[in-house]
Amino acid sequence: MNLLLEVIIANGLLFDAFGVIGLGLLALAALRLVREKKSWGGSMMAYGAVALLIARIYVLLAPHVVDNDFLIAVGPIGISLMMALPPILLTFGLAGVVWGLWGHEKWLKEKY
Amino acid sequence: MSFLPNLPLASIDAIRPVFMIVMGVFLMIVAWRMAKESKGWAVRLMVGGAFLLCFGYAILIPMYEAGMIERFHPVAHLHDPATAMGWHAVKLVVMNAGWLVFGLGLGLHSGLVRMPAAFKFSRTQTISANESVA
Repeated sequence: MNLLLEVIIANGLLFDAFGVIGLGLLALAALRLVREKKSWGGSMMAYGAVALLIARIYVLLAPHVVDNDFLIAVGPIGISLMMALPPILLTFGLAGVVWGLWGHEKWLKEKY
Repeated sequence: MSFLPNLPLASIDAIRPVFMIVMGVFLMIVAWRMAKESKGWAVRLMVGGAFLLCFGYAILIPMYEAGMIERFHPVAHLHDPATAMGWHAVKLVVMNAGWLVFGLGLGLHSGLVRMPAAFKFSRTQTISANESVA
């Protein structure tokens, strides 16, 4: 196997950490936009980034946490929630980020 | 590699990939529009990140959902493991680096993080004529 590919696959954690750090930065930056510049797009972006972050952390942690005991403990409603929530969070998180960025860009145009 | 015979565009099954395509392209367009008005590392990073994310959301993920790329799994029997692994590496890099670069760009734009001095291009300082030099 190609060494570079091997490194990338084996260190999936490294890249996942990049993604999580990036989304965290995005959420913090959006919050700062809201607090300091009163840009309404920032709050939408922050909601979206937090939703994406939650879904991504869940997807990363699920293989390590979820086993049979866990599934029995959460019951059928919990299992269906576990199946349904991550795609919903990912979809609406992306929508929130894009909508927020659009709003912020519009706000920038109006202000300057 | 067949062109998705049973998944017509914009059917209920295809609504999520289509949504992803629209969102990815729109993200790119908005970042591009922001970049037209300003300059500096913040918008450069944002456009770079938006470009990576646009590639990921508008091309890679719909191709995965349509089954044109096999999902990589270490123990599964794949039709073509090398190709699947290559695409998996591309997906890992694009989606994660995209969010990291985009987040850094927005952080710079909002003033959350400051640019390190090493990346700032120094302009030669000239002293204007009516400025007193002690």
